[in-house]
Amino acid sequence: MTDYALTLSEVCRAHALASVSLALLPGEIIGVVGQAGAGKTTLLRVAAGLLPPDSGTVQVWGPAGYAPETPVFPPALTVREVLAYYARFHASGPTRRAMVHDALELAGLAGGADARAASLGRADLRRLALAQATLGGRRVLLLDETLSGLDPLARRDLCGRVAHLAATGVAVLLAARDLGALERLGMGRVLVLRAGRVVRAGQLASLLAERVLEVILDTPPPEPPPGFRVTAAGLEAPLAGRTPEAALALCHAHRLAVRASRVRVKSLEEIVLDAHDAPR
Amino acid sequence: MHFLRCVLAEWTLVRPRLSRTRFGVWLLFLGTALIWVGRRGADPIGVALQAGALGAVLGAAFAAGSSADRAALAIALAHPTTPFAVATGRWLAALIPAAGLTIGCSIAVGWETSAALAGLAAAAAVAGCALTAVLLGGNGAALVLFICMTIAGAVPPEALVGVAHPGAVRLTVASALELGPALWRYREIATGSAGAVLHAAAWAALGVVVASGLVRRRARRAP
Repeated sequence: MTDYALTLSEVCRAHALASVSLALLPGEIIGVVGQAGAGKTTLLRVAAGLLPPDSGTVQVWGPAGYAPETPVFPPALTVREVLAYYARFHASGPTRRAMVHDALELAGLAGGADARAASLGRADLRRLALAQATLGGRRVLLLDETLSGLDPLARRDLCGRVAHLAATGVAVLLAARDLGALERLGMGRVLVLRAGRVVRAGQLASLLAERVLEVILDTPPPEPPPGFRVTAAGLEAPLAGRTPEAALALCHAHRLAVRASRVRVKSLEEIVLDAHDAPR
Repeated sequence: MHFLRCVLAEWTLVRPRLSRTRFGVWLLFLGTALIWVGRRGADPIGVALQAGALGAVLGAAFAAGSSADRAALAIALAHPTTPFAVATGRWLAALIPAAGLTIGCSIAVGWETSAALAGLAAAAAVAGCALTAVLLGGNGAALVLFICMTIAGAVPPEALVGVAHPGAVRLTVASALELGPALWRYREIATGSAGAVLHAAAWAALGVVVASGLVRRRARRAP
């Protein structure tokens, strides 16, 4: 029998989640994507135990650490004091101090531990949110947009820290509107949520292996061949098992003047948009 | 034991607030003003009651009144604590500076044990009421309560009820003065009134219980 770190079985929550099920293994990262209002935050808050589900069950291996989308900390405290405050809920004495030290190191905040929480920039706030979520040796992390809206350097740094946590066996459920962050993580599974339902799921690596044929035309076509869509330069179509030659033959059969063509992989953004636009 | 550790965690937020926010300055200003009034003939019980009540309102405002402090409650509840422990700790965080202010003012104007005890009871009751008020309405509610406590401490209740006439307004004011944490009532603690002690204890307990419900609700509604 598989020992899951987190399982959600047919979890429903009024106006937000409609029968969502997922199982997260230790050391696995699942990225939850979808438009605003798709139910990502509600899913994480239900998994964290902050919201009760209307129906369905949530099982977590030990308590889960939660980093909210807009983390707010007591403004008068320093970074170290914020972590010490939360660490007091978990332990006392030297254990607590070691916990704070480890969290500061893990999130890359050791150099700015004496800065006030009120003065932190977005990247450091996200680091602090990650640090407090890991306190107490949590084996399940629920990160709400922790990697979103950051500059490339900060995003790379935080992606590395999340990947390192996963490598130590911590299971991560990550809501992300910044799909580039998920691509940078380059691991785990992706769930696409639409109106509270999972409409697409798969390993990130296999999703990103989907290929697209781009065709540059001399003149725009009056009507694209079946399966193609019109772009600024010409046409494009997912290969979906076809060979590029077969797809190009379809263009030639429609008497289209093909100037050039290339095969590229689908971006995660295209995969999410396709899942969102697909008929229900 | 775990509950006490969680309560202590909230209480430890007081020291940084005293030294890094205006909380310390406000307490100092309030203490100086009350001692000045006390040395010019105000009775020690009145000074102790005002110190306890107004100090507790300030304490609650700086413990949970700002929007950032209230928003931060959501993350605290993602850790192994409970809304009741958070509310109890914040109540203590409001009460203990007020208790210190009460004892300091009582010593400065001439120590009377009964007056100091009345002030401490007022601080406990008002801290419960103020904590609920700031969790509901932020620091605006604290300001209203501060003004109410200042007036209720200075003017006899009969005079206030007499001003508010007629009908429903008068009834509301009379009920608020009768049921709410009012300094005229806690003055009776100095003369050994068990009813006044019970009234203060009830407000302290009710404040913590209602505040814990508000903390739970805030955590659920947080963005």
